[in-house]
Amino acid sequence: MDIKTPLRQFVLTELVYCDDINNFGDTEDLLEAGMDSMGIMRLIMFAEREFKVTLPDTEVEPDSVRSINALVGWIEEHKK
Amino acid sequence: MNLVTGIEHQCITNPFAIAIRENQRAINYQQLSLKIGAVVQLLQRAGIPSGSRIGLAMDRGLDTVCVLLGVLSAGCCYVPLDIKSPAKRRQFIVNDAGVAAVIGCGECPHEYQNFGWLDYNSVSDHELDVSIHQADQLATILYTSGSTGSPKGVALSHRAIHAFSHWAQQLVNLRNTDCIASLTPLFFDLSTFDIFASLSTGACIDFVPAQLTMAPSQLSAWLSQHRISGFYTVPSVLGFLALKGNLEKTPLQDLRFVLFAGEVFPTRLLKTLINYLPNTEFYNFYGPTETNVCVYWRVEPDTLLEQTPIPIGHPACGNQLKIAENTGELLVKGPTVMSGYWSKKTLHAVLADQQWYATGDQVSINEKGEYCYHGRLDRMLKCSGYRVEPAEIEHVLLSLPEVTNCAVIGVSDETAGQRPAAAVVLQPETTIQALRRKLSQQLPHYMIPSRWKILPALPLLKNGKTDYLSISNLFVTAK
Repeated sequence: MDIKTPLRQFVLTELVYCDDINNFGDTEDLLEAGMDSMGIMRLIMFAEREFKVTLPDTEVEPDSVRSINALVGWIEEHKK
Repeated sequence: MNLVTGIEHQCITNPFAIAIRENQRAINYQQLSLKIGAVVQLLQRAGIPSGSRIGLAMDRGLDTVCVLLGVLSAGCCYVPLDIKSPAKRRQFIVNDAGVAAVIGCGECPHEYQNFGWLDYNSVSDHELDVSIHQADQLATILYTSGSTGSPKGVALSHRAIHAFSHWAQQLVNLRNTDCIASLTPLFFDLSTFDIFASLSTGACIDFVPAQLTMAPSQLSAWLSQHRISGFYTVPSVLGFLALKGNLEKTPLQDLRFVLFAGEVFPTRLLKTLINYLPNTEFYNFYGPTETNVCVYWRVEPDTLLEQTPIPIGHPACGNQLKIAENTGELLVKGPTVMSGYWSKKTLHAVLADQQWYATGDQVSINEKGEYCYHGRLDRMLKCSGYRVEPAEIEHVLLSLPEVTNCAVIGVSDETAGQRPAAAVVLQPETTIQALRRKLSQQLPHYMIPSRWKILPALPLLKNGKTDYLSISNLFVTAK
């Protein structure tokens, strides 16, 4: 199951605004783009619900959610 | 009663107890009194008369508390400046407040060049004389989002803040052995608990590193290691802690009480948090900046139902409450109510004696006699505890040449509170990203709309006014 597409869709419409979703790079810094702690919380709730994963509490930190690629890697790791 | 008397008393009777901690730094009450004295001397040497307003260009922290208390000890009023907000906004505030000086650390930033800069780094410790002030004197002006398009200054007297902090001390039985975690910026009225209730009891304030709000398990570890016994913050911070704070493995045994305010705490998240912290007392505090806390509810865990919002409770701080018959609006009268709005360098006492302050919030009383909150009667939003007037965002948007028309509404989310969203009519070839860049030069980050719709024209009601309901629906169906 592709998780990047729905994840990008959620992050880039709900948490970080950009005019053209296709133009936002997978390595761009989401925190610099405006995602705050509330955004991180919503993102985790979304990911756990949509991808049926449990993301460990101790791994919730800025580096886990810093970019689309970081997020995909983090979620994939717990999807096994 | 003024706000510094109790703290000065602690400096004399409790000199070697730790007053403030921030990361690796800590000062005791004796050192605190010397720092306060240093600030008083700094202001006196600059020839600043008692009664002046002083801008604080410093982020929350140990030094800032020393400066703030020094400003009060010198008989002046502190005006917190949000260092994360755009320069233009801070400049508006120092100008509107009519500050006699701005205190900060190091070189004067360009935006304060015409306002008399005082460098806190240049002071040296100085003996503190006991200060004498009138209780009606203004202690602070807290600028919040204004519906007329500019920030609005809420002027609070020593008496009003003291009424709250003294009441809160009694409520949670604050002691000199308590250690209070502080996370709130100074321009939020929540910070008055951390500073004045704690320090006048002889307790210790410990500043939470800001980055921990993004890593809840690190926040809980910090609360545990620092043996925090009390914490007053917004539900969004606590909700994240409940969901991902690793609380199962991090018992917070020292945490006696948690106070929260600023937005509605989703009951489901509150229940989760209480399950992890069965020995902690929880209190829901309610009140706009204009009244500080005027209603409170001690959380009764057994009564919580996931689908039912928690009540705001009973009158607090000796205030009287009343519900307006036609609208259901909550009206407040009593000791914590503001002195008035501050604008254009003057206090505007909007309430005559014995008048009620109208909160703009719709409430009712339930079968247990508790007040319950139902929402705003106007358009104001609460975004992560921040108060946001959509009209202020619209005003800034309309001042941009690229924007022909706009309407800002709030979209709700499942965590807590709302976020601003904007529907805009634009000149050709304008991008939202360009607009956001311009907005961020004038508005703080929490006021920048997170969702946007470009429309050919705004939907209107038959009377020609903007149809905000249709605009809200555009954002709902887009999900």
